[in-house]
Amino acid sequence: MTVYTPPTLATPRLWRDDPAYAGLGLLIGIAALPLLVALALDPRQFQDEAVWIKPLKFHAALVIYLFTLAFFARWVPEATRASRLWRWHHAAVVFAIIGELLWIGAAAALGTASHFNTSDPVWGALYSLMGLFAVILTSASLGTGIGIAGNRAMEPVLRLSLVLGLGLTFGLTLVTAGTMANMTGHFVGTPVTGARLPVFGWSREVGDLRVAHFFATHALHGVPLVGWLMAGRSGGRAAVWAGAALYAALVLALFWQGLSGLPVI
Amino acid sequence: MTPDSLFALSGPLALLGWIALLAAPLAPRIADTVAGLVVPLVFAVAYAGLVLAFWAGTAGGFGSLAEVAALFSDPWLLLAGWLHYLAFDLFVGAWEVRRARAEGIPHWQVVPCLLLTFLFGPAGFLCFGALRLTRSRMKG
Repeated sequence: MTVYTPPTLATPRLWRDDPAYAGLGLLIGIAALPLLVALALDPRQFQDEAVWIKPLKFHAALVIYLFTLAFFARWVPEATRASRLWRWHHAAVVFAIIGELLWIGAAAALGTASHFNTSDPVWGALYSLMGLFAVILTSASLGTGIGIAGNRAMEPVLRLSLVLGLGLTFGLTLVTAGTMANMTGHFVGTPVTGARLPVFGWSREVGDLRVAHFFATHALHGVPLVGWLMAGRSGGRAAVWAGAALYAALVLALFWQGLSGLPVI
Repeated sequence: MTPDSLFALSGPLALLGWIALLAAPLAPRIADTVAGLVVPLVFAVAYAGLVLAFWAGTAGGFGSLAEVAALFSDPWLLLAGWLHYLAFDLFVGAWEVRRARAEGIPHWQVVPCLLLTFLFGPAGFLCFGALRLTRSRMKG
């Protein structure tokens, strides 16, 4: 009479605080398993790279993004998390992320481009729609940041760092990724012969706007790190402001470097 | 990796599940987990990866027998089709064992159905359906 019950895993509180983002993060992680199999078996290349590398990078990035936001959700007041706006915004973000990953995965399966693909009207229309979806999924960081800004009970230095980090992720990603999306590709300059940085795949010979996009999006890790280290200390607020300004300057410098056609290293 | 090398791996993996089912009265939880969950999920991941990698390159499809034949003329998709059999046959076998346990059907009566399910999938499912129907009639 045994009915199968899944093993009980220790449940971190992010599942309670933000079940939608935590759940989607887990699903995206599991969905990467068949992509890894495809990567191992599929000999096709796209722009000198196995076709499945790009979807896998997006899965990995979004798992990190979603679990980070679900972890931060503990500092969003419970009343905010129970609000209709919070839930509808989450639904829109989840929808947008699933849409982006299906689009990127389908393009890989067909051995074609997802971003910058305007080869026919359907792919062109999809690319435009996915630009909108990308803004929605980036707004997830803004939503969590605004939620934390309304928390009057938490340690103020950490709160400031979270709000600034999440806000910078939103703003800087919109600027860097938005600029990139309106160009014809992520490289600036020629010749592209294929020298790349391992793992990240960034060009080592021409400008690559994905570098600035990467650091822009990771502001939600970099700036709160300062707040976490400085929480409760005198001068903590000033340190966080300085850290956020420095981080933004770094991203803008990398952005300028990429736009100038210079490789990151 | 070739389709043949993966085929060679898939057989022993499926067999592991079937042995667990045959020995289910000795270790019911292990049998349920291995044959009803872990092994079919491993096949499912491999199958999904194969379809992602090779579906776009085939001229075949599901629309006609000729299209299905074209599908299976690609060794990678033929392998995917084979994993589909292995995964779902084993899953059905595990379901038969769980159902039999829940309904008090002795294991030795299920074993012939398991062998048929292992070799000829739906024929074993038919066997188990016939067994359940017959037993329910006999109880009156």
